[in-house]
Amino acid sequence: MSAAAARIGLGAAVTVILAYLIFPVVVVLAISFSSGNFLSFPPPGFSLRWYQAIAGDPEWVSALFVTLKVGSLAALLATLLGVPAAFALVRYVIPAKALLSALILCALVTPPVVTAISTYLFFVPLGLVNTIVGLACAHAVSGMPFVVINTAASLRSADRNLERAAIIHGAPPLWAIIRITLPIVSPGIIIGAILAFVHSAHELLIATFLLGGVGKPVAVKIWSGVQATSDPTIAAASAILIGLAILTFASVAAAQSLARRRSA
Amino acid sequence: MDQSAATTRTSGAQVRLRKLSKTYGTTAAVDDISLDVPAGVFVSLLGPSGSGKTTTLNLIAGFLTPDSGDILIDDRSVAEVPPHRRNIGMVFQSYSLFPHMTVADNVGFPLRMRSKLTRDEARKRIAEMLALVQLSHLEKRYPRQLSGGQQQRVAMARALVSRPRLLLMDEPLGALDRKLREQMQAEIRHIHRSVGTTVVYVTHDQSEALTMSDVVVVMHRARIAQIGTPRQLYEAPASAFVADFLGDSNLLPGTIAAVDGSGYAVKIGNGVFVHAAQSQLKFSAGERAYIFIRPEDMTVQPARSAQGDGPQSLAGDVTELSYHGDVFWLSVAVGQGLLKVKVAREQGGAFETGRPVRVSWSPNAARLLPLADDDLRAGERARS
Amino acid sequence: MTATAQPETAAPRAPVLTLQRMMPALLLMPCLAWISFFFLLPLALMCWRSLTAEGFSLAAYSTLFTSALYAKVMLTTVKTASIATVLALSLAYPLAYALTLSGGKLRALILVFVLIPYWVDIIVRSFSWLILLGDNGIINKMLMTLGVVHTPLELLYNPFSVLVAMVQILLPLTTVILFGAMLRIDRTLIAAAKIHGAGGWQAFRTVFFPLSLPGVYGAALLVFVLSLGFYVTPALLGSPRETMIAQTIMVEANQLLDWEQASAAGFVLLVITTLIAAIYNRYFSLDRLWGGSDA
Repeated sequence: MSAAAARIGLGAAVTVILAYLIFPVVVVLAISFSSGNFLSFPPPGFSLRWYQAIAGDPEWVSALFVTLKVGSLAALLATLLGVPAAFALVRYVIPAKALLSALILCALVTPPVVTAISTYLFFVPLGLVNTIVGLACAHAVSGMPFVVINTAASLRSADRNLERAAIIHGAPPLWAIIRITLPIVSPGIIIGAILAFVHSAHELLIATFLLGGVGKPVAVKIWSGVQATSDPTIAAASAILIGLAILTFASVAAAQSLARRRSA
Repeated sequence: MDQSAATTRTSGAQVRLRKLSKTYGTTAAVDDISLDVPAGVFVSLLGPSGSGKTTTLNLIAGFLTPDSGDILIDDRSVAEVPPHRRNIGMVFQSYSLFPHMTVADNVGFPLRMRSKLTRDEARKRIAEMLALVQLSHLEKRYPRQLSGGQQQRVAMARALVSRPRLLLMDEPLGALDRKLREQMQAEIRHIHRSVGTTVVYVTHDQSEALTMSDVVVVMHRARIAQIGTPRQLYEAPASAFVADFLGDSNLLPGTIAAVDGSGYAVKIGNGVFVHAAQSQLKFSAGERAYIFIRPEDMTVQPARSAQGDGPQSLAGDVTELSYHGDVFWLSVAVGQGLLKVKVAREQGGAFETGRPVRVSWSPNAARLLPLADDDLRAGERARS
Repeated sequence: MTATAQPETAAPRAPVLTLQRMMPALLLMPCLAWISFFFLLPLALMCWRSLTAEGFSLAAYSTLFTSALYAKVMLTTVKTASIATVLALSLAYPLAYALTLSGGKLRALILVFVLIPYWVDIIVRSFSWLILLGDNGIINKMLMTLGVVHTPLELLYNPFSVLVAMVQILLPLTTVILFGAMLRIDRTLIAAAKIHGAGGWQAFRTVFFPLSLPGVYGAALLVFVLSLGFYVTPALLGSPRETMIAQTIMVEANQLLDWEQASAAGFVLLVITTLIAAIYNRYFSLDRLWGGSDA
């Protein structure tokens, strides 16, 4: 096979795969703007009625607020706990570092259903069920790996000598870290925090157990909606989450270009 | 000397390292190093990568804690003193200027962190420093707007602004091209003479160390191989490692056949006997040793015929001839190995590869160096 | 200017500042304490719960291992996860390879396409397949207009729909992992192979592909572990025959309120997952995420 033919073949395969990837997203977006009642694609016409329906529905609005509160709190906790951990892992020689890394990351590979059940059983006697704080605490655990990994990556590529230059010329070490290193590392931290937030917004099973009743977040509401109704309100809610994803992606990209400018 | 230089003169600190060691796992990065640096001296730590020179510098700075041993600055141990209180200036290979601060703010940083100068006094000091490095016109610029050489000069100004008695430099010119490097070497020397602080300079470039230093400490495999002035090290190396690391050298292994007042008779390969002069290193008959001759101490002539190899010459064929602008370098394959010789540009035309030549040297140009697995044992020889 | 011999009494080796020594512990403590309290402790309690129906008993576990239902569900789970992993790898590999070959702008564009779906949640993505694969869905409509079929194909509520959605969900992560591993392959090795006579395909087969295998294995393990725990996709798009273990556990817990049984099943699933992750860690060291340990 000639090199050119191979290239074309690869290009064709990639195009098909990318279409496979993105098409469903396009579908949901399209339906959310549908003027029709049924979940048909392509939609019969353009309309904003489903978004209006959501905006006018107090249950949806409160669900959105719950998601925002839980996600922000979870991201904040994950950041406060994860950033120092990343510093420790990157800057110091620690015994059993592999084990510690595994511990921090194990929330990522544990099946969500297992985490959901165990957390629920644990929270019941503690009275943390049906609270925003409770869910945020649980989501902080799964958000932490994102913060730690991204902060560590940023830290590794930062020039350590800048911090040393400040210290040797009189800056107390803590000052040097906060004023010199942290700004350089902040894009990584921000990316991690955003990922933690998004992860929390999407999480279903833990949320079902811990906050599945009155004050449920958007993910739980969508899930119950998907199994019940068949009108495009669900699509609109989904589209809002997609919009969130795109917004997230844009901020991450902005943060990355900020990182590039800072280290130039 | 200009006014600005006169006002910036500091006295240097005396630095002492006592049996310093630092180990990582099972490898020693620095192994039992002891060193006395008098005040105001420019000393280079010279060695290949992995020799321990940067680790030593980081120990002096305080970024690393020694596993054993002590560091004294002006006769006071700094083991308990954290780096930001050791009152040292430092220049890094990557300059490490704070990107979000102007040149003036970069230079003024140590003053803000350490001293109690008023705003005006600080401004004056910054201006002094910028004048010293000839960058007064760039004080409002940002690091990214400066060239490599300019950034390095700002780094020097920053390191010197609070008049530290000790200045550490970690391969600061490594990132610059050759012409700029040579220029900066001269400038650093000039600044050192004006300011008077003690300088500890790390480099792997032997010509840089020889040009700039008062004292050179050659390091090899976490230990000190030899200490001396550039001349002492170049002309009287104590080991094959030092001889070969500083400048070019010819090293021919052999066995010592006889010793007398004038020197040694050494049998090298092919049963040829060569004469070596006496030096501070002492050897006895029967020992193995290197014959050490610098290329510039050798002369080479086209050979008329296969004359015998004498006590001060060897014959062989030219295997390579390369032009270096000011000189020609020849590689000559003699029975005992390969010799490197230099000839002046005008004489290069007399030689061709494949033709026989005779290489000779004066009686005092050949000396002996220890032939041992661990070249650092050389230190013991000096005492016998 | 000499290496002077020092007197035997060097300065006494004072203890290193204790704050400095304790710093890494101080930095890690909050994080580890949190994980221990909010994650490990609940898991331990879940295990305990599985053993204490009425007093200490292994009843839940014996049901687990003897019941035909659980055996079938586990089999289905492992089968589905395996197929999904293989498919995801097969599609992600060319995608990742294309990414390594692409220049800046093209690479960024492809990455956008790969990453945006990753941030749409699983419910939505599974849901969209519900629309696409239905009897009135666009795929059936297209096939009918093209005359390939005359009645709509049963594309939903079977292994096909579950796998199609699962693979699409797993694809971004797989691609990113493979891409990362491929980036670490030294491109000059390919050039060296070609200069010495290897054609394009040969260079790929004998140099690039073998070097990419560790990345493939690593991705496979990770993706397999994630697939085991899938819930939404099989629940939404599969028939009862495609039930995966997470769904069964949810039923036990949420509907039957048989916490002992759910805990036991959950614990077994956890053990399996941990074992696989431990294998991953042994060969691919999660350490790599910090770039290995620093000295």
